Amino acid sequence: MRGRRVFVTGLGFVSPHGEDPEAVFERICSSESAIRLARTGTPEFGADVLLASIDFEPGDRIGKVDRLSMARASQMAVVATRNALDRSGLMTEGSGPEEAGVYMGCGLGGAEVLQQSYRTYFERRSRRVRPTTVPMIMASGPASQVSMSFDIRGPAHTYSVACASSAVAIGEAFRSIRDGYAHVAIAGGAEAMLNDGTVAAWQAMGVIAKLHPDGAEASCRPFDSGRTGLVLGEGAVTLILESEERAEARGAEPIAEIVGFGASSDAHKLTEPSVGGQERAIREALEDAHLPADTVGYINAHATGTPAGDPVEIEAIKRMFGPAAQNLAVSSTKSTHGHLVGASGALECAITALALRERRIPPTANLTSPDSACDLDCVAGEARDAPDLEVALSNSFAFGGSNATLVLRRFDRGRLDA
Amino acid sequence: MTPYEFLAEVLHEKYDVARDVISPDATLTEIGLDSLTVVELLFDVEDEFEVEIPEERATFQTLAEAAALVEQLVQAKGA
Repeated sequence: MRGRRVFVTGLGFVSPHGEDPEAVFERICSSESAIRLARTGTPEFGADVLLASIDFEPGDRIGKVDRLSMARASQMAVVATRNALDRSGLMTEGSGPEEAGVYMGCGLGGAEVLQQSYRTYFERRSRRVRPTTVPMIMASGPASQVSMSFDIRGPAHTYSVACASSAVAIGEAFRSIRDGYAHVAIAGGAEAMLNDGTVAAWQAMGVIAKLHPDGAEASCRPFDSGRTGLVLGEGAVTLILESEERAEARGAEPIAEIVGFGASSDAHKLTEPSVGGQERAIREALEDAHLPADTVGYINAHATGTPAGDPVEIEAIKRMFGPAAQNLAVSSTKSTHGHLVGASGALECAITALALRERRIPPTANLTSPDSACDLDCVAGEARDAPDLEVALSNSFAFGGSNATLVLRRFDRGRLDA
Repeated sequence: MTPYEFLAEVLHEKYDVARDVISPDATLTEIGLDSLTVVELLFDVEDEFEVEIPEERATFQTLAEAAALVEQLVQAKGA
């Protein structure tokens, strides 16, 4: 069964590279890193950590009072959605399309608010924890705040699937339109977990990148033999998805088309990825899209830059594509924007959409000495024009063994009646 | 700053309540605060005047009544 066609008709960013999607895409294509060495926590009790954090200030884009009950992730989600609604022409007097569904991914919700509540309890020895703590820390905060901020009254659902959260959110939004439940959806993700307690927990896992001799910006090195780990980022990205009928009726100019979504579980280990599970997600996504594997020209990889993770994804791609894998371009844009965890899938799906529109493949930065176990074309260092690029994938693979792959196709007005 | 002046100031500065809505006889509901925000506001007052408002005494309706309660608590603390 093939249902409605689903187009991406708007993008809104709050990302480590900025808020303007085209400018962000250019910076990523130029291998410009948003990663810095930053002090987290207190001077005596914190740590210097590599982070892709954002100097975020909502200003008058969120009312002063509304902000009091919004965690950082929710504030970012609201601003990203405002940007997307404005850019797609769907904002009317401050409101979005009332009938839309909201599909947001988020891993930890209001992590910094939870930390603050524990500080009150344990440090100040007080039970006077702020009464807004509960609605601020819930992972569904971003979806709810987006719905309230823009008077959007369809379902507002949250997918908390660790690093695959927003890829799954976009996949489910895509299905809701394709399968006839809706004509418009606000889909994406938000994450803001760079508070010290959470960062310390990530450091304890031993997966965080070490400072490279060439500096912070050179420290996230997916597929490189010198890679030492991932770099945490933060932000929110919103995509506007619309059915073909709705987009056509209002004369919207699609950025790209979403044509397939596949999801799978490793049923293996909590943090150790599996080739079989990832291969399955990619296969299901391509079957969902009714596209043969040899139509794919680019994969925006999940590859975070950990020694263990990157070769597993390369192996999954090789098993899935066979000899055709040698013709694929595979890049990890996390090399410059870091790992946005629950917002990662949305940012990378948006970058993939722009890559299709611009027919330009963003590079893997800092890939100077490729790992022999990562022996595909990983687009080292420089963006590449791809005049024939038609189909691309965005992979998101999560702790817990949850895998998600989105299939995107270039929007071509001439093909609309096909 | 008296408790009333403090309440009026916080309501305007932090909770964006228009100054012409704020008066001694105005109730917190009339001012437009929901129940969670009222608790936040009381926390602000407790922090400023270093008092604790017992739950059973938080029965005030108007700003003047709230301010009077805080004044009593401040005096009791000093006694």
